[in-house]
Amino acid sequence: MQESIYGEYLPQLKAALDYILDGINDIRKKIKEEKTTDPIEHCLARIKSEDSMREKCRRKGLPEDTHSALEVIRDAVGVRVVCTFISDVYTIRDYLSAMPDCEIIQEKDYIRHAKPNGYRSYHLILRVKKKIYAEIQLRTISMDTWAALEHQLKYKQSIGGNTKLIEEELKRCADELASTDISMQTIRDMIFENRGDAN
Amino acid sequence: MKLLLAEDTRDLNRVITAALTHEGYAVDPAFDGEEALGLVNKNGYDTIILDIMMPKKNGLEVLHEIRGANIVTPVLMLTAKAEIDDRVEGLDAGADDYLTKPFAMKELFARVRALTRRKTQYTEQQLSFADFTLNNDKFEMSSENSVRLSVKEFELMQTLILNSTHYIDTNYILEHVWSGVPDAGPDTVWLYISYLRGKLNAITSKAVITGERNGSFRLEEQ
Repeated sequence: MQESIYGEYLPQLKAALDYILDGINDIRKKIKEEKTTDPIEHCLARIKSEDSMREKCRRKGLPEDTHSALEVIRDAVGVRVVCTFISDVYTIRDYLSAMPDCEIIQEKDYIRHAKPNGYRSYHLILRVKKKIYAEIQLRTISMDTWAALEHQLKYKQSIGGNTKLIEEELKRCADELASTDISMQTIRDMIFENRGDAN
Repeated sequence: MKLLLAEDTRDLNRVITAALTHEGYAVDPAFDGEEALGLVNKNGYDTIILDIMMPKKNGLEVLHEIRGANIVTPVLMLTAKAEIDDRVEGLDAGADDYLTKPFAMKELFARVRALTRRKTQYTEQQLSFADFTLNNDKFEMSSENSVRLSVKEFELMQTLILNSTHYIDTNYILEHVWSGVPDAGPDTVWLYISYLRGKLNAITSKAVITGERNGSFRLEEQ
């Protein structure tokens, strides 16, 4: 049997993943108690499979070794947090960035600065206990819906149809969903404002 | 640009048709009211020129039928009599303008230009303010990012851009954006102002809407 590309570090990867998930659960509990609303719709976590990691090394022209898997590629640990409202994305981001033993290596705000195809999400690369990198994707339910459906269609459009038109229409859908997200946030803010316990 | 000219005096019809064609319009001539109606129902026109005194159906009858069929094409009425009643009746029936015979060809051209211009400028125009644009065909508001607006959000933003030199109050907005919507009130205006504030922020624009709930609002550059 081939040795794991993660060498002896698999337990550390699992520990880093649990550390982040525990942190996310803490903030979730805290917000639920304070505001009686749940900031998280659902949360997915994974350690990149052996096969995917090796495939990614090959794709990037890297040697298939532990150094590539842990130091060059930085999404061996991955968490996707699907939030309820846009403001929840930033609340969770602030909380994660303030966690001890957790430094931010890189962050990309594709919500304020959407990708040209309409993709929106907040990407963070964290380093846990000065060793393990983790990629966190934060997005709303709408952004997640778009990403999931676009991902499915992206591979189908070469089969049939006008690629440019399809891309434009997918972008339009992203912009409509983004618009709805802000409307929902505004309605929520207004309800909280009227209740006198504004966020 | 396609025009319909309904004028029963053959010589005059021929002269006007030739002159307008020379100006670059495509002109369909009609010589009585029924023929004019037949053409209106068959083709799309940018402006319709109707003489009032015509056989079979007069200009006012044709106008009533056109507007009754929900055709909103601009209509210019021609009248031989300078009588006020004809003009009033024509305008009330949905005519956009009138011209009293005899008229100078130059004036006819100017009025046709005014009637056709209004429609094209209104629909093709892309409004902009500070660093963002409002695209009329796509209902899209864009700066670095773009979002799609709902109809009322779009109309409210259009109103704000067109009035950006001064404050407009909640009542003005209600009368201009929500006219004929009985349930709309100051809360509606406030909610939509709040939507647009969030959406300006989402497209990373420097523009902001200033103003307080139930008060007056204005677009400003930060």
